[in-house]
Amino acid sequence: MAFPHRPDAPELPDFSMLKRLARDQLIYLLEQLPGKKDLFIEADLMSPLDRIASVSILKQHEVDKLYKVESKPVLSSSEQLCFLVRPRIKNMRYIANLVNTDKLAGRTRKYKVIFSPQKFYACEMVLEEEGIYGDVSCDEWAFSLLPLDVDLLSMELPEFFRDYFLEGDQRWINTVAHALHLLSTLYGSFPNCYGLGRCAKMSHELWRTLEEEEDGETKGRKAEIGHIFFLDRDMDFVTALCSQVVYEGLVDDTFRIKCGSVDFGPEVMSSDRSLKVLLNAEDKVFNEIRNEHFSNVFGFLSQKARNLQAQYDRRRGMDIKQMKNFVSQELKGLKQEHRLLSLHIGACESIMKKKTKQDFQELIKTEHALLEGFNIRESTSYIEEHIDRQVSPIESLRLMCLLSITENGLIPKDYRSLKTQYLQSYGPEHLLTFSNLRRAGLLTEQAPGDALTAMESKVSKLVTDKAAGKITDAFSSLAKRSNFRAISKKLNLIPRVDGEYDLKVPRDMAYVFSGAYVPLSCRIIEQVLERRSWQGLDEVVRLLTCSEFAFTDITKEDKASSESLRLILVVFLGGCTFSELSALRFLGREKGYRFIFLTTAMTNSARLMEAMSE
Amino acid sequence: MDCYTANWNPLGDSAFYRKYELYSVDWDLKEDLRDCLVAAAPYGGPIALLRTPWRKEKAPSVRPVLEIYSASGMPLASFLWKSGPVVSLGWSAEEELLCVQEDGAVLVYGLHGDFRRHFSMGNEVLQNRVLDARIFHTEFGSGVAILTGAHRFTLSANVGDLKLRRMPEVPGLQNVPSCWTILCQERAAHILLAVGPDLYLLDHAACSAVTPPGLAPGVSSFLQMAVSFTYRHLALFTDTGHIWMGTASLKEKLCEFNCNIRAPPKQMVWCSRPRSKERAVVVAWERRLMVVGDAPESIQFVLDEDSYLVPELDGVRIFSRSSHEFLHEVPVASEEIFKIASMAPGALLLEAQKEYEKESQKADEYLREIQELGQLPQAVQQCIEAAGHEHCPDMQKSLLRAASFGKCFLDRFPPDSFVRMCQDLRVLNAVRDYHIGIPLTYSQYKQLTIQVLLDRLVLRRLYPLAIQICEYLRLPEVQGVSRILAHWACYKVQQKDVSDEDVARAINQKLGDTPGVSYSDIAARAYGCGRTELAIKLLEYEPRSGEQVPLLLKMKRSKLALNKAIESGDTDLVFTVLLHLKNELNRGDFFMTLRNQPIALSLYRQYCKHQELETLKDLYNQDDNHQELGSFHIRASYAAEERIEGRVAALQTAADAFYKAKNEFAAKATEDQMRLLRLQRRLEDELGGQFLDLSLHDTVTTLILGGQNKRAEQLARDFRIPDKRLWWLKLTALADLEEWEELEKFSKSKKSPIGYLPFVEICMKQHNKYEAKKYASRVGPEQKVKALLLVGDVAQAADVAIEHRNEAELSLVLSHCTGATDGPTADKIQRARAQAQKK
Repeated sequence: MAFPHRPDAPELPDFSMLKRLARDQLIYLLEQLPGKKDLFIEADLMSPLDRIASVSILKQHEVDKLYKVESKPVLSSSEQLCFLVRPRIKNMRYIANLVNTDKLAGRTRKYKVIFSPQKFYACEMVLEEEGIYGDVSCDEWAFSLLPLDVDLLSMELPEFFRDYFLEGDQRWINTVAHALHLLSTLYGSFPNCYGLGRCAKMSHELWRTLEEEEDGETKGRKAEIGHIFFLDRDMDFVTALCSQVVYEGLVDDTFRIKCGSVDFGPEVMSSDRSLKVLLNAEDKVFNEIRNEHFSNVFGFLSQKARNLQAQYDRRRGMDIKQMKNFVSQELKGLKQEHRLLSLHIGACESIMKKKTKQDFQELIKTEHALLEGFNIRESTSYIEEHIDRQVSPIESLRLMCLLSITENGLIPKDYRSLKTQYLQSYGPEHLLTFSNLRRAGLLTEQAPGDALTAMESKVSKLVTDKAAGKITDAFSSLAKRSNFRAISKKLNLIPRVDGEYDLKVPRDMAYVFSGAYVPLSCRIIEQVLERRSWQGLDEVVRLLTCSEFAFTDITKEDKASSESLRLILVVFLGGCTFSELSALRFLGREKGYRFIFLTTAMTNSARLMEAMSE
Repeated sequence: MDCYTANWNPLGDSAFYRKYELYSVDWDLKEDLRDCLVAAAPYGGPIALLRTPWRKEKAPSVRPVLEIYSASGMPLASFLWKSGPVVSLGWSAEEELLCVQEDGAVLVYGLHGDFRRHFSMGNEVLQNRVLDARIFHTEFGSGVAILTGAHRFTLSANVGDLKLRRMPEVPGLQNVPSCWTILCQERAAHILLAVGPDLYLLDHAACSAVTPPGLAPGVSSFLQMAVSFTYRHLALFTDTGHIWMGTASLKEKLCEFNCNIRAPPKQMVWCSRPRSKERAVVVAWERRLMVVGDAPESIQFVLDEDSYLVPELDGVRIFSRSSHEFLHEVPVASEEIFKIASMAPGALLLEAQKEYEKESQKADEYLREIQELGQLPQAVQQCIEAAGHEHCPDMQKSLLRAASFGKCFLDRFPPDSFVRMCQDLRVLNAVRDYHIGIPLTYSQYKQLTIQVLLDRLVLRRLYPLAIQICEYLRLPEVQGVSRILAHWACYKVQQKDVSDEDVARAINQKLGDTPGVSYSDIAARAYGCGRTELAIKLLEYEPRSGEQVPLLLKMKRSKLALNKAIESGDTDLVFTVLLHLKNELNRGDFFMTLRNQPIALSLYRQYCKHQELETLKDLYNQDDNHQELGSFHIRASYAAEERIEGRVAALQTAADAFYKAKNEFAAKATEDQMRLLRLQRRLEDELGGQFLDLSLHDTVTTLILGGQNKRAEQLARDFRIPDKRLWWLKLTALADLEEWEELEKFSKSKKSPIGYLPFVEICMKQHNKYEAKKYASRVGPEQKVKALLLVGDVAQAADVAIEHRNEAELSLVLSHCTGATDGPTADKIQRARAQAQKK
């Protein structure tokens, strides 16, 4: 059932090297402060750190106690304090407070701040303003790529999304470029580059500059990865806003996968303790169901359970020798599988329970209606009811955004009334949230100019296409619009289905949304890879109002092997969802590619909305 | 061949010394060498001459001329000495000329007579004057040692990193020491001085008397002392005419020689080389030169004119008015090959090759002889090595030819030593050329390394030759060609008579985008020369914006720097410029600059959000960005203010801002929020409990849950809560309270705007099937099936669905037919379906 890869699919590069590099560098930094020391770790860095270096490794390098960076007073008695933090001003304040308190108490200790993945001048400025720049030593831990899975690298920078797409802060782009540079030094440069989006373009340019500055040594390296595709999250908000229905996405939506692992609570474990479970390709059961539509998962699991039972049953009628063999060789594997199976069955049950409670079917139906663009009124009242019933602030917000983007903004009446309702339901502070959403283009009002849209379409029928294009360009410069409907039509995102869509044997990437919608981001990638350029996609790019930021950069080289040309690195700037991963993995299997994903962070609709909330 | 060893002089049994001419110099010396202060740098370095009028008290008004020549006598610089009297001249390891003045100031000049810098040897010397000074070289760099008029020594071991060390006093020292020198032992510089018959060693802690072991008796004074190039050996010339030679530690004596001349020598230097067979000292008097070693006889030369000795790593250079010679111990390889009647393999090979060229069969004989002994590899090696030590290219060639000839008869002789020697010799012959004038020997060249040699060529502005060498040796561009081009460019920008455009263009044409060339370094040099415009032009060629910014800031082109920083995409760089601008401009101008740079602006805003909230407000104010200003105040109402009055005031400001921004919705919403806050406050006062910061919906719910129905309704009216919401709200609240009667009353108060399905749903959520059923009957026809299914009445649902003849509803019901009792219902539906299809 789980689709095997085509036999000719290329091997993935071994990314565990990245982990080793990061670990060695961290150890080196810790050794720079010889002797016993207490380590203060920022909460956001704890999970990533856990994947790199275990507590015992830290202890080996004379880390005495571990603390979380939080607003509580510090009780550390160590003479040396080491802080492992993201370069945020908030953290600098925390450290400054701590140091200044020590100073007042006449206490002298050694302080070392390790910034990950890099330090920012602004942070050092704050340390200086607080008058402790001379008391602390600063270092950088260039840990920017965490391999979460065999084909997934995450920068673990969820703030990238808000910083760049809302605040317009470009500070992380350099980090992205450096991360890519690291990849290209380890695995060879990428001969074919494509990208879409302003940030994509900048990242690509910065990375190129870095490559050029490097002297010849790495240039000769054989390219292992033939293509790289940069994509900005704001090119496709729709996909990220949809409810996920493939297993991994659903687990993420329900339980929140954090840094590649998930905390299954008592309701899953059917006991009173919760368990942290690593979800990746090493979990054999999970690996087979992660990309499956949820409706298939139960059937698969029960089949699996039956097989398992049969395996167990084999031991009946065994003689002593066979039994010994069985116990020593197979039993452990079976037990392991058993454990995993019960885990995922538990998770499924829990998901089912939650989803039926919230009337999941209705929700999905509304989403599909929005994507397809019919029964808009009905959907709008559904959203209104959703708000009135206070189902969930994040969910309501998500639906509003989905409505806005698919419809090119809300009509003024709805815009006002939905917002009013929302404020009444969930509190007036969300006025700021709305202002943020508007700025990011997620929740907007149809400009009066939209009356022109109708005109425009009429005009385009009358005059030549070219002229119409010019007119539309002029319009689109007025306001950045999503143009989702037109793009959807152009790229055929809503598959025409005759009869039932068989989710067991998917035909296209739409299966990740129950056959109702092909993720826009993935479709663009598919189209560009097929053409090896943006040729013929001008209209789409124009509709995305992104004409200046669609680029291809092909280095003519004979060095790229055919193997490498089927390895594609997709860089999601601003995060990607598990559904997108599943869709592209599906595409890869169909076409004989292997995709590797690099994302600033894993995301989903809830995380997007939370990033915008105040 | 016989004449080849004619200039070989044996010393003792084992070693030969030879003297050959490097250049026949033809320098136009105005003064006699004897009247000059002379300094010649080791490793074939330049020679500086300065007439010393001060000693002779002759016409002090006439300013002397300082002249600098290359080793081949080509003039490099010549200028009038305008500063004070000079005591001593010397060259540093970087080939900078150090001129020690009588007042303790040391002036540093470049090879071309360009003044570099100066430093002082301390205040004490100002009074006491400098009597004598020495410049010496150690592994740490070049040092200066001075003897002051108070007979005290001060030294600095490295003029690059000046640390003056005043040496301890020598007890009872009344007179000037007869001679002194610097010893370098155990990584520290010491001073050895002779006063009458006594020798003293000064280290930085103490002064101790020392005696050389085995010194011939009767010494009443030491006239001259010399330390070897490597500081390992020491030679002392006594007034009895003895020359004592031993280790510099004064623990061991090598030999002693009586030369029977009591006149003080003009110069005495060591002449040895690494792995010397013989350790010898060269002593020079006015017209006599003597090589003295551990042998009963010495080698004597006659000097025709004033000469000056320059100790080198592997010999002594001797120059005079008309010639420049090199005296050294013949290297082993050369000796083996050229010694008369030598049967060494190399000698035989050379013979064989010569015979071969004469087409004589003797070649074969010689070759056989070597091969029989199995010494052909050594023979080739010897020839290669000997070629390195030859000065004359013809001899180099014939030796190399012999080596190449021998190589033909060897199967596996690694070619690299031969190839490398050929390359090295080409480089050496090139720099030894008369016009270049760096007479390096092979050993010196190896000690110096190619990198330093290139530096020295660059220092002499011999850029083309340096580049040719780099290309010839195929050095990596970054170390070789680019580095030299960069130096050339730095020199080029100093040419003040050429216009900025021409210089910039010339530099760009030559450099292009050679890897490893930093345009910003060149620009920095241009700026250093006061050519700001040129610097800016050059920066344009710099591909890395990150490199442009610091210099632009230094040149006070902050706005240009800001543009470049933004181009670079490096936010840290942008930030650096921003803070620079913030300090440089007044606030208004600063904000105006930001206004045109959205990226910088958003970056600065982010910073202000955390660090300088007030500035953030000013920024919005300045831009008339009322929308953001409103948001700012709303944020403030949550974060900064605790008291209700303060919060309301902040909200009022926000509302005003929103009005200005023409955002009426936000303004109204904010005003509502103010009203709500005041009201919640009143509710808290009157009813107790927690109301503040609840949403309107939650406030009403809380009121209903608390039994305050009237107030709840009042609130709903005041805030115009839509009916639908109110119904949902009441329904949920009453169900939560399980006030079923109240709920029923409410349901009958008027026709429900949300229908009755929600009633069923909510009741079922509270697991009250009984109540739910009541409402199920009232649900409208479209939702009837759903409602019935909710309360679990599958049979009736089926009936309704069949009645509606709705396919979707039928399948919905069918999917609920899971229980054992639902069998008949399912059948019924199937039948209905079949019927429908028939029709």
